[in-house]
Amino acid sequence: MYASLVSNRYLTSRLIPVIAVAAVALCVALVITVVSVMSGFLDMLKASGRSIVGDVIVSSGIGGMPYSDELLAELRALPEVAGATPLIDTIGLLRMPYPAGPQKETAHVQVWAIDPASLTGVTDFAEDLYWRAPKDAATADALAPDDPRRSLDPAILEDGKRLVQSSTNTPGIALGMHVSVGNARQRDGSYLPRYGWFMPGLEVTLTVVPVSGKGKIAEPREQIFPVVNEVQTGLFEIDRNRVYIPLAEGQRLLRLDEAPLYDLTADPDASGNYPVIGRTPARVTKLLLRAKPGCSADALRDRVQATYDAFADRIEADRLRTASMPRFVQVLTWEQQLRDLIIPVEKEREMMRVLFSLIYLVCAGLILSIFWAIVVEKTRDIGILRSVGASRTGVMWIFLRYGLIIGTLGSALGVVLAWGIVTNVNPIHEAIGSDAPLAIRITAWGLASACAVGLCVTALRRKFLPTLLWTLGTIVLSAAALGLTLHHGTLIWDPSIYYFTLVPDKVDWWAAGTTAVGGVLFSVIGSAIPAAKAADIDPVEALRYG
Amino acid sequence: MAEQPLLQACRVHKTYRFGAHGVEVLRGVDLAVHSGEWLAVLGSSGSGKSTLMHLLGGLDRPDAGKGEIRFRGEPLSLQPGSALDTYRNRDIGFVFQFYHLLPELSVLENTLLPALVFGARAKRRTALRRDAEALLGAFGLDHRLTHRPSQLSGGERQRVAIARALINRPAVLLADEPTGNLDATTGAGILDLLAERHKQGLTIVMVTHDREVAARATRQVHLTNGTSDSAAAQ
Ligand SMILES: Nc1ncnc2c1ncn2[C@@H]1O[C@H](COP(=O)(O)OP(=O)(O)OP(=O)(O)O)[C@@H](O)[C@H]1O
Ligand SMILES: [Mg+2]
Repeated sequence: MYASLVSNRYLTSRLIPVIAVAAVALCVALVITVVSVMSGFLDMLKASGRSIVGDVIVSSGIGGMPYSDELLAELRALPEVAGATPLIDTIGLLRMPYPAGPQKETAHVQVWAIDPASLTGVTDFAEDLYWRAPKDAATADALAPDDPRRSLDPAILEDGKRLVQSSTNTPGIALGMHVSVGNARQRDGSYLPRYGWFMPGLEVTLTVVPVSGKGKIAEPREQIFPVVNEVQTGLFEIDRNRVYIPLAEGQRLLRLDEAPLYDLTADPDASGNYPVIGRTPARVTKLLLRAKPGCSADALRDRVQATYDAFADRIEADRLRTASMPRFVQVLTWEQQLRDLIIPVEKEREMMRVLFSLIYLVCAGLILSIFWAIVVEKTRDIGILRSVGASRTGVMWIFLRYGLIIGTLGSALGVVLAWGIVTNVNPIHEAIGSDAPLAIRITAWGLASACAVGLCVTALRRKFLPTLLWTLGTIVLSAAALGLTLHHGTLIWDPSIYYFTLVPDKVDWWAAGTTAVGGVLFSVIGSAIPAAKAADIDPVEALRYG
Repeated sequence: MAEQPLLQACRVHKTYRFGAHGVEVLRGVDLAVHSGEWLAVLGSSGSGKSTLMHLLGGLDRPDAGKGEIRFRGEPLSLQPGSALDTYRNRDIGFVFQFYHLLPELSVLENTLLPALVFGARAKRRTALRRDAEALLGAFGLDHRLTHRPSQLSGGERQRVAIARALINRPAVLLADEPTGNLDATTGAGILDLLAERHKQGLTIVMVTHDREVAARATRQVHLTNGTSDSAAAQ
């Protein structure tokens, strides 16, 4: 009881505890803000990753998997499966329609030959199509004057969803948003054509290399496709590389389509053809599956693996089949598939957490030195308290309690501060990224001038400390005002690098909780050392002191 | 045999050590304080008067195996530290030459401090507060309750210190040169105050090197060369 009285009085009778609380609050707020933004980034990355590849991916070698329709029918019948789609994943070269003149740019791309209808049930393919006509006049008016979407034919979205150019009824190609240099990303996340190259409607030439089941490379094959739409998944790595064509076109180009099976051991007929003894089935190289809500990706993966193995055994045993299933297929969850994208961000977040947590040591050190000074200053008080019967633990508790209060106040304040920063991170970021408003510039200059006046007054009075403080204030505020006037702002979260238009603005409450507890803990640790020293002070010495 | 002394020092030695050699300040001091008496301890500066008071008050312990302090016949040296804390809190009241008030606490809070250390229950707190106010009122400080020690004169501060020493109704008041820092008139006021309490039955041990001050006591003891010789007053 006396401990609370005495430590409260020590707290309220000086400025230093306020500084300590502010230091703890800043440390806690910093850690929470950084971890929250990183966690939000990771969540966004994972969410968009999952929307790009579904929950489970079955991949075979380049030779592909036959009987995919039967296998897919079986997989779709599983209670865990919400959707399943076949595709071929290969690499190719894409000759662009630019620049003007006979020499054209060529890019290497990842080719996904897809079944758009079933892919839409597994990934967000349809939603990711970027070019679509505005819903109504109001949304059209909200767009920038030179935004191509203002004058789009509404058919462009349907064409993208089907990968068919409806005007000519030819199979089309959809490009990742950043495959072409023609799309210039704006600050608000929209795109304007660059150098006049608006891709939809233009033709590109895709070259792919078929590979036989034995691994032999056949003659490269090329096909001209009209660009029907462009795809923005939100993951830069994917949007820079991937193009989408219809599955049938991919199978044909890569010689993975259904074909007659000849008996090469028999004699050829008059025109040199061997007798046809059956047909080899068409193949795909990947199956993407989406889990029903409530079913985890891991559970689905195990189920798919078992289904595949049973299916392969049945095909093997069926003597009427002309092909067998590849024995070694990879069945991975989306997280395993996207490891390369996710792991670095996860690692980065943990590194940030560790690095920023070192701040705690600074905090603890600060509190330690402040408290040490207070204990030394209060040595006589400690002797007095002991002389009226206070115990050693009682004296220790005065200072521990002091640290506990500073840690608790600081942490609470830090959480509130972090909450304020994180939930307003986008407006703050926007403000940093643009010119400072005139009012703020005037205020900054006004404050700087006020400091300069204070400096003159205190200098005339020949007081050193106030003069020094006013000088520092004048310098800092003038620098800030000058910066605000000259600088036009920088966007830290450059959308073309981080790829999400908005900075994540959700507080990671778990991180906030652990950080706050850490703040309290380190404050108490910082105060424990001076507190123990206080308890060890010899009361007789202390009473003689001062 | 006479009645048992309230507080007693038996052949007490105290040596201050620095490194290899030490200074033996007390060399077998014998002292008996009887209930209801006002004892003055006289001695020149550096003779060990404060040291003896610290030992009597349980703030410090005599050299191991060389004498002991007894309170109501019980040796203090055998008690653990926590028992000495309780002893200082309930049985002893200290008054120092330099008042030793806590600067951040008000007059009333300073006075209440030993009661708070005692661990008074919330119910008793209002009663305690009234006690403290009555005590301070009797000392002429009723208009000073919320003031800080720095706002008081030396005499006023010493009266607050005495109120603090008395709040837990101790058996013995140990006053180490209570008037040493005050002018004669103010000092006399403080001594009047002690005399009044003494009349009410308080046992007082008072250190001084001033013979006039010592004359107010009922008995005097001289500390010289680390030993005591007692001489009855009057
Ligand atoms: N911690 C210590 N270490 C060494 N010597 C000490 C210590 N404390 C006190 N002394 C010495 O012990 C002796 C007695 O000190 P004490 O304070 O008891 O004297 P005193 O009689 O109260 O003197 P005064 O009248 O000046 O208050 C002095 O010589 C002092 O220097
Ligand atoms: Mg002394």
